[in-house]
Amino acid sequence: MIEWTGLSPDEARQFLANKDKSKRDKRLSLKEAVQKYVKDGDNIGVAGFVNGRQPIAIVHEIIRQGKKDLTLSYQSAGLAIEYLAGAMVLDESKNSIRRMEFAYWAHEAFGISPLLRYLTETGKLELEDWSNYNMSARFKAGSIGLPFIPCRSPMGSDMLQRNRAVVMDCPFTGRPIMLLPASHPNVAIVHVQEADIYGNCRIQGPLYTCPEIAMASAHTIVTCERLIEHTEMTRYPNRVSIPFFAVDAVIEVPFGSYPGNCHGLHYFDEKHIAEFRGACEKFRKGDPAPLQKYYDQLIFGVENFAEFIDKLPFEQIRYAQKMEPGIRLEAGFTVLGS
Amino acid sequence: MTKYSEDFTTQEMIVVAGSRSLPDNKVIFAGTGLPMVAITLAQLTHGPGIVPVFEAGAVGPVLSRGLPLSVGDSRTTFQANYLLGLNSAFELTQRGYADIGFIGGAEIDPYGNLNSTMMGDFPDGYLRPKTRLPGSGGASDMACSCERTIIIMVHEPRRFNEKISYITSPGYLDGSPNARWRAGLVGQGPQRVITTKAILGFDDETKRMKLVATLPGETVKSVQDATGFELIIPSDVYEFEPPTVEEIRLIREVIDPQGYFVKKKIKE
Repeated sequence: MIEWTGLSPDEARQFLANKDKSKRDKRLSLKEAVQKYVKDGDNIGVAGFVNGRQPIAIVHEIIRQGKKDLTLSYQSAGLAIEYLAGAMVLDESKNSIRRMEFAYWAHEAFGISPLLRYLTETGKLELEDWSNYNMSARFKAGSIGLPFIPCRSPMGSDMLQRNRAVVMDCPFTGRPIMLLPASHPNVAIVHVQEADIYGNCRIQGPLYTCPEIAMASAHTIVTCERLIEHTEMTRYPNRVSIPFFAVDAVIEVPFGSYPGNCHGLHYFDEKHIAEFRGACEKFRKGDPAPLQKYYDQLIFGVENFAEFIDKLPFEQIRYAQKMEPGIRLEAGFTVLGS
Repeated sequence: MTKYSEDFTTQEMIVVAGSRSLPDNKVIFAGTGLPMVAITLAQLTHGPGIVPVFEAGAVGPVLSRGLPLSVGDSRTTFQANYLLGLNSAFELTQRGYADIGFIGGAEIDPYGNLNSTMMGDFPDGYLRPKTRLPGSGGASDMACSCERTIIIMVHEPRRFNEKISYITSPGYLDGSPNARWRAGLVGQGPQRVITTKAILGFDDETKRMKLVATLPGETVKSVQDATGFELIIPSDVYEFEPPTVEEIRLIREVIDPQGYFVKKKIKE
């Protein structure tokens, strides 16, 4: 028996069996959704991939409300985790990460994560090392109602000393195989391009591990670039990436993964990523002022994500939009009125 | 006659060496950073039939919309032949659809085991490492389950160690016969290590690293001096062909004009 973080497979099954799965209007404000579904001590499944379609608006709201002792589960992440970590290093009594189950935290072309270095080198985080496939497969096991999933990598790696995987002989082939425990976060936080009011989501571009994370978690908060008509969503049922009953709250938040990349809408805002990462790097090197200023102005100094976007130079946002090579959204003409 | 470049950086050289090591018409699973640049160069030169796969889901895209800054960004998806997510991409590698995994790392041992997790004392000092690195990402999955792997990295003594801090991505493990098979791995392991100084391979018997070729400006001695363990030096070591003017032009003007991956130093 292992110690489960989030829900155990049996708890997760029980939870879902008793959940209201009705098709109902799930629109809330982001503030309400975070108040209702994110608790101190939760295991949060963070969707997106590195700086692609990460749930940045949801993370900003979590920081404003202040959530402590979080466990963060994800494959590869950048800004979403850096923002939570930044809030933690500035005021640990308000926001804190206790544990991470993850494969990679950095920003690829934009550089390493300064705060991963800071928090680990000061011994502040409990880490469980997995590979990208491991975390993705763990969410998949959770999403398909299995307590574990077999996987062929990375046997022989020292990660096996730092995670709860088990290597055993396959009962059918006799060869070693790695078994990964399912992941059932308390809450998944996901940003998508399109959703309807019931929570059906249509993801454009790479799905990353978003459908699996949403389906594996007890609750799911979805932000979307555009709320679209239900009839538009159901024109292509096989393009629904996350079905409505896996979603608890849906909020229209344009640019909700900014300054990361959102397929079909905008590429990275490289300038802004560098500015924020630079402030984190200065913190690591002993100067907290730029990071404090960033949070005071852009996160604590605003009411919501729209105000954050309002503070960024229009030309910079326009440039990120122009640079985006992804397929544009089809359903632009059926955007709901507010 | 081929015109060779007379002004190129070690970063550019490594990209050229990486590119030339990629066979045409193979499925290449690409890690972030220099592997992406090298694949793009190969596609523009000898390997138009290369099928790149990115772990965020894209299979067989055309990399003509700018160099991806992430293996999951929109540029990796342009005209892709198949696109789901991470599970689908890694499932392909397990099934045997990925011929070559192309990865980088911070530290390597003589058996091609790679570390991209931490520098310091493991396991005792794990929670307070000297330097924490970003972590495996998908590199360990590629190292395990792609049929072969090609590793690309900066050649410095501190990165080439008899014993590395942490094995993130398995190579030939302890080098014992059939070590990978016995561990349960399906891929055959590392084929080449491409560095800023040399092309390296592995001895068929001992699985220890051997010198295959020296890059322009390097000698057997300079390569050995920059390696923290003893290399096997076969008698047929050769000098690698320098970058051509055209290859360098493509890197500078077409592939990475902003110098995201090529000009800057690889950081820990």
